[in-house]
Amino acid sequence: MNNLTQKVRNIGISAHIDSGKTTLTERFLYFTKKIHRIHEVKGKDGVGATMDSMELEKERGITIASAATYCLWKNHEINIIDTPGHVDFTIEVERALRVLDGAILVLCSVGGVQSQSITVDQQMKRYQVPCIAFVNKCDRSGADPFRVINQLREKLNHNAVAIQIPIGLEADLEGVIDLITMKAVYFDGEFGDVIREEEIPDSLMETAVEKREELIDAASVFSDELTEAVIEETEISETLLTAAIRKGTIQRKLTPVVMGSAYKNKGIQLVLDAANQFLPSPIEVDNQALNLDNNEEPLHLSGKKEDPLVALAFKLEDGQFGQLTYIRVYQGDIKKGDTCINVRTGKKVKIGRIVRMHADQMEDVEKIEAGYIGALFGVDCVSGDTFAGPGLNVSMTSMHIPEPVISLSIKAKDNASESNMAKALNRFTKEDPTFNTFVSKETGETIISGMGELHLEVYIERMRREYKAEIITGEPSVAYRETITCSTPFDYVHKKQTGGSGQYGRVAGYMEPLEEDSFVFENKVTGGSIPTQFISACEKGFISCLEKGPWMKYPVTGIKIVINDGAAHSVDSSEMAFQAAARGAFLQAYFKAQPVLHEPIMKVVIETPAEFQGNVMGSLNQRRGMIIGSHDVGQITAIEAQVPLSEMFGYSTTLRSMTQGKAQFSMEFFTYRQVPKSVLESIEKKNEKKTRTGT
Amino acid sequence: MLKKQLILQDPLSFLGYETIDTDKKGNFGAVISRAGVGKTAFLVQIAISSMLKDKNVLHISIQDPVDKVNLWYKEMFLNLTHQHDSKQSKQLWDSLLSKRFIMTFETESFDFSKLIARIDELISQNIFAPQLIILDGLSLDNSMQSALNRLKEYSRQNKFTIWFSVRTHRHQSDDPVSVLRELGGGDASLFNMITQLVPDKDKIQVKRLSIDREITDRPPLLIDPSTMMIKETKNH
Repeated sequence: MNNLTQKVRNIGISAHIDSGKTTLTERFLYFTKKIHRIHEVKGKDGVGATMDSMELEKERGITIASAATYCLWKNHEINIIDTPGHVDFTIEVERALRVLDGAILVLCSVGGVQSQSITVDQQMKRYQVPCIAFVNKCDRSGADPFRVINQLREKLNHNAVAIQIPIGLEADLEGVIDLITMKAVYFDGEFGDVIREEEIPDSLMETAVEKREELIDAASVFSDELTEAVIEETEISETLLTAAIRKGTIQRKLTPVVMGSAYKNKGIQLVLDAANQFLPSPIEVDNQALNLDNNEEPLHLSGKKEDPLVALAFKLEDGQFGQLTYIRVYQGDIKKGDTCINVRTGKKVKIGRIVRMHADQMEDVEKIEAGYIGALFGVDCVSGDTFAGPGLNVSMTSMHIPEPVISLSIKAKDNASESNMAKALNRFTKEDPTFNTFVSKETGETIISGMGELHLEVYIERMRREYKAEIITGEPSVAYRETITCSTPFDYVHKKQTGGSGQYGRVAGYMEPLEEDSFVFENKVTGGSIPTQFISACEKGFISCLEKGPWMKYPVTGIKIVINDGAAHSVDSSEMAFQAAARGAFLQAYFKAQPVLHEPIMKVVIETPAEFQGNVMGSLNQRRGMIIGSHDVGQITAIEAQVPLSEMFGYSTTLRSMTQGKAQFSMEFFTYRQVPKSVLESIEKKNEKKTRTGT
Repeated sequence: MLKKQLILQDPLSFLGYETIDTDKKGNFGAVISRAGVGKTAFLVQIAISSMLKDKNVLHISIQDPVDKVNLWYKEMFLNLTHQHDSKQSKQLWDSLLSKRFIMTFETESFDFSKLIARIDELISQNIFAPQLIILDGLSLDNSMQSALNRLKEYSRQNKFTIWFSVRTHRHQSDDPVSVLRELGGGDASLFNMITQLVPDKDKIQVKRLSIDREITDRPPLLIDPSTMMIKETKNH
């Protein structure tokens, strides 16, 4: 392992679906000699890209699970995490960004900043990850990297600046001009591995000079020396310019843009150069933990290997050798045979086998030092756990985990499948916090829930393939929620006398709607009309009603309960009595508070050739979609709409047939909105039928 | 109730354009000013007022992405309703969204024939039937005379009103009307609602102009630059 932490880069590759993340990673591995042959995503050789190691990934040509690898480039060690582009697997991106120090934002030179690029950018902002942008697919018809740079500025608010310009575009793409060295760079040989540097062609000199000036102008904000050199009109050295760009990038105030074509092997080596030059090393990133001994105050982590260990388990994977736990070490080091503490459980953890990952291959190592990513075998923990050295009680801030929005009932076809299904579900829920499973109390069915149709589809397919579990699936249903719309008082007495000591509790107050999707309980009881020891029982009673609403049996959210009066009996009052009184009070007021049903609304973005845009909009209208707008970019129209999730099942097939497979769509959760009356009736009927038939 | 209160703040009524605006004869309106004075904000207020009156608004923006246009509406609506109950305002906003359609074009991919084809498609496929169109960010010049006349005819046939933002430049005449007359190829009747935004100390004056002269029977409106909302009527 390379001990020079300054020469380490932990980077992620993130982008919209089909922007070429995996193709780019494949080239990285090839040029860094980690692999000796390039295999394409969905390539004709049927091998698939190295990072798409899962059978299903190779077949579908999508990345499902983020994969980690590392490579060496010009004396720098680059740890790379290739992440999925589809929003259904967003947790993989969250996990990756949480532990990375920098990222390469890949953008399509035709599609530009697409919907998922915006989501990924927000995730980068959340974790303060500096990035460089790579405008890919410059060989494609309609390529315009400068339009993409403008979109980076306008749509994502990045201070984006080109550090290269292309030599030719579309089919004529030959190479790029490096605006720092002011050299034309060509990529010769079958796989573009022979780099040829030439003088800038005369035809491009003017543009190159103009764009270099723009670059110097943007970078000079971060360097007084550079500003002085500009003012004094002295020669600007490569080192000076590179240092200024690096400073701006690390501060997240500048986004250097490189360009090329991963598929055509043009410009890739310069992307690796840019990662080395501009993205931070682990010691340049201010990592913080929460000090649990001091009211969760942020605690700066030194990044030094001599200090006590702080490491985060950010991803779990169950394989043939047991549980594999991916960790990032922030401080200290973790060695084979060491003992550390799992801060969440307080239990000691003995470190056994340590490996470094290269897609699905692994290499045994003796230790992982601060700044590195690796994996441990046989450690009992969950995703998000912090491991710390003795005497340290700190926790890394937790990752943002979105709520599942779609669920599906599943049933095993036979006994053998049933036990295999249980094993698979156990593993998947442990690995993926956005994938949940439970058994419905009413129907006895196993319900799985996740982030989208594709998310659940992939897990069902994996159960079939990896666990030989034959599964019958029910109709998907969405995560409806109940809420109330007006303030309503309650005053309920729970009284029971059936021999022995009785039960008595009176609870009075009111319930009112909340704008947020939360629950608030407020105690305004004065004069001890409800003794203090029973207040928490009241709260428990109310909370127990929220899990399943009295009206449509969906969870109740956005509600505030205020109790302001009540009564107790010196002998007959108990926690149980007050819990029952609270439940009674809830039922008494709930229907008067005019409950409504809310459904998840998705933000849907469809990119379609302009000729199909009318049909696509029509299809969204049919699905109760509200079209927010359309954006014409060349021959492509991007349509943005808000559509109820319940109407989006099977939409990918509809869209494919409607547009001859030329359109693509992405969808992510947007908000909850009230279900219209006409739809409500059909949901009620469906639920009634379900209850009657017990299915 | 809230809707009614907000309708009372209609900028077109303040300017005395409400009768012209409802005659459905393919009117052209222009908000004219130099860059950065508040044309988009003013147009968005006109759009919101129309949506409050249950009219369908098609907002066409050249260059700005859909999200940015959407943000303008959100901001202006928040400014308009900040003194009212937030829950009611949110409900009203949700109900208004179906009355608006945003269509944006990159400058280089915009042309009038494409625009007409797009609107035709929206109407013929029952996706959205606009009653008011806002055309913002288009750099109008003399070469567009015939296209503008074609658009005028199209708006007459379909009975909708189009409001344009017209940016004047330093090299152009200080008289906005002459700028518009030039655009119409000397045809004074192309734009029948003309509003000029003029910075005036810490406020922005909204002047109603006719193709011949400034109409002085109404005092100009004022816009508060901090919120870009119509603030008060200046008494002369």
